[in-house]
Amino acid sequence: MTIHVTGSGMRSLGWAAVLAVCIGLVAALSVRVHAIKSEVLLAERQIIALKRETLLLETEFETRASQRQLVHWNAVEFGYAAPRADQFLETERQLASLGQPMGPDAPAQIRLARADTAGDEGAGDARRQDAAMVSPLSGEKVTLASAKAEADAGAMFADAFGDFLIEASPIRPARAQTPAMRVQAAAAMQGAGE
Amino acid sequence: MTAYAAPPAIPAGRIELVHLRYRTVLTARWRVLWIAAIFAAVALAALVRIAWLGFAGDAPRRTSLADALLPPRGEITDRNGVPLARAFPAYALWFNPAAMGDSGSPLVRSPAEVARALVRIFPDMNEARLAERLASGRSGYLRRRLLPEEANEVFRLGEIALEIPRETDRHYPQGTLGAHILGYVVEDEGGKIGMEQVLEARLEDPVLRSQPVALSIDVRVQGALEDELRKGMLATNAIGAAGIVLDVDTGEIMAMASLPEFDPNTAGASGPENVFNRVTNGVYELGSTFKPITIAAAIDAGVVRDLSKTWDATPVQVGRRTLKDLKPKGAGLNVPQALVYSSNTVTARVADELGAERLRRTLIDLGMDQRPFIELPARGKPIFPKGNWARITNMTVSYGHGLAVTPLHLASAYAAMVNGGIWRPSTLMKLAPKDVPRGRRVFKESTSSRMRQMLRMISMYGTGRSANAPGYRIGGKTGSAEKASGGGYAKTSLVSTFAAAFPLDRPRYVVVAVIDEPRGTAASSYQRTAAWTAAPVVGKLVPRIGPMLGVLPDESRDVDISDLRYLVEGRK
Repeated sequence: MTIHVTGSGMRSLGWAAVLAVCIGLVAALSVRVHAIKSEVLLAERQIIALKRETLLLETEFETRASQRQLVHWNAVEFGYAAPRADQFLETERQLASLGQPMGPDAPAQIRLARADTAGDEGAGDARRQDAAMVSPLSGEKVTLASAKAEADAGAMFADAFGDFLIEASPIRPARAQTPAMRVQAAAAMQGAGE
Repeated sequence: MTAYAAPPAIPAGRIELVHLRYRTVLTARWRVLWIAAIFAAVALAALVRIAWLGFAGDAPRRTSLADALLPPRGEITDRNGVPLARAFPAYALWFNPAAMGDSGSPLVRSPAEVARALVRIFPDMNEARLAERLASGRSGYLRRRLLPEEANEVFRLGEIALEIPRETDRHYPQGTLGAHILGYVVEDEGGKIGMEQVLEARLEDPVLRSQPVALSIDVRVQGALEDELRKGMLATNAIGAAGIVLDVDTGEIMAMASLPEFDPNTAGASGPENVFNRVTNGVYELGSTFKPITIAAAIDAGVVRDLSKTWDATPVQVGRRTLKDLKPKGAGLNVPQALVYSSNTVTARVADELGAERLRRTLIDLGMDQRPFIELPARGKPIFPKGNWARITNMTVSYGHGLAVTPLHLASAYAAMVNGGIWRPSTLMKLAPKDVPRGRRVFKESTSSRMRQMLRMISMYGTGRSANAPGYRIGGKTGSAEKASGGGYAKTSLVSTFAAAFPLDRPRYVVVAVIDEPRGTAASSYQRTAAWTAAPVVGKLVPRIGPMLGVLPDESRDVDISDLRYLVEGRK
């Protein structure tokens, strides 16, 4: 009998524990809900503040770029005038009407054409271009300056990044420019000035 | 007595047991009931909470965000959504002696020191008066408007009594642009003149004010119109100018300017000057610009059927008065010539043949006997001759004298004349295509077509040549009338008008420019008439606004005037 009562007591203790856990979870959840609510409130306040700032900046922009100000700037700085009638083209037909009709003794029009050989596309083009770049005297391959720059893109980036690092570094080397160089630079400036 | 101890039917120990069992079951049931009740209560509480969250909890929060962003007064924009008037958060400087919350001095430093510090920030303030004000201990505004950086500097002074409350101000980003259209706002009183007054209820309505109100005007066109009018006004040393750009098919006003203007940003505080709106409130005798209306009425009535017919152009003698041409071009002129050379005598004779009643009817149909149709409160009452018109009245009205209307009346009439003959009320509100009024027919389509040809000829061969911007097919009529003063006319003060429409092969817009009392200057070749003052304004304005309004110049298009060209100067 006593055992039976104890079993029932255990069960109700179990129920009480479950209840306590549930209440604890509910409390935790509601704390979390409140936390998120106040975050939302904060976000809303931020939205309001940012919208007001946007309004302020937009209005300032509109004021500084008002029609009267633009007209004033145009009168002082730019001098743009309204476009003339002959600066407008409405249709391709109008564009074509600007061309001259072919006269009887007119020189033949220069036309550009290119013949593609079959199965020779993409990489083939580059190869053919490379092949075309030979010195007319020695027959040796010539590398154009532009091609060189392209090939050295990695090196250029490394150089630029190195410069950036030097610029950004708090430890600065002493001015490497010698007085003689400065004089030269000044002379160059004067020369440019004259 | 034989003690027979019969065993009891139910032994006492068993009864005890049953009793115990009964009580235990009862306790258990009670406990179950309690637990069920607690669960039910928790579940109910959760349900109530869910319901509260669902129905009541969130709602006030959501409106608070909308409320916070709801402007205190609605925004006004142009037809493309560019803000013209908006509520703008601004700072004020308020002196609150009670801010420190004790009985001591309201300021940390002495009033004189604080005044000196403030004058360093605002050099226009009077230091002595400010110190006196701070010492007096009265709360109030020290300054109404501060820039944000000034507010920061005041904050840095560390005086708690100097408060920087945020107030919303009515701000007009475009400054003086469209001042007469917009009006201004006086604090605690509401909108004054202009659309601020007209839309007062709409702008203050808490439900509607979050949505901006779109006006019909286009800020770029308005800017160009004001700029060209201002140049024209300054070049001729005039006392004022007015201009309007009107959509001929809808009656929407794309731009409307009256110079000199006022600044709505400061008008509310200081009281405005120059609030007189010359476009809608000023009535003028607009002179020769009425001749095309008379001719249109005559063509419509069948009085002028043959445009090559020559009319007598010698001075007209009516009673004691003689009507003459300013620059006589010969003894006889046909109707196109009469318009191109602006002949008073031929127009008067055409009107005489038309009859006073029919001309009067046409002008009434064009709304010239009433205040102009527009939302603005400032609408001038036209001076329209009353009763039956005498013969001389009919003749003078035919060329725009003895009848004073606003430039807006004239623009609406020209719109009706070129758009196929339909008169529509003008409006400052942006119209959706379905909202465009049907209007009323004043002229026949054929009359309108003839008028387009003749208006174009005026700006090709006549007084409107200085407005003939290449490619825009402008056509219009000049008008220079002496201002009425006292009983007669003031010979020296003119009102020069140019009323035009473009492109005339398919009219889209009417432009009216009025220069009030121009003087002969070097810029106008020492002339005061409209051909030298008002027409060049239109000639420079149209190329600026045409492409913005969707009218591209095209020199390969024009009105077909081949059947009329030979009538003027024998051109083939």
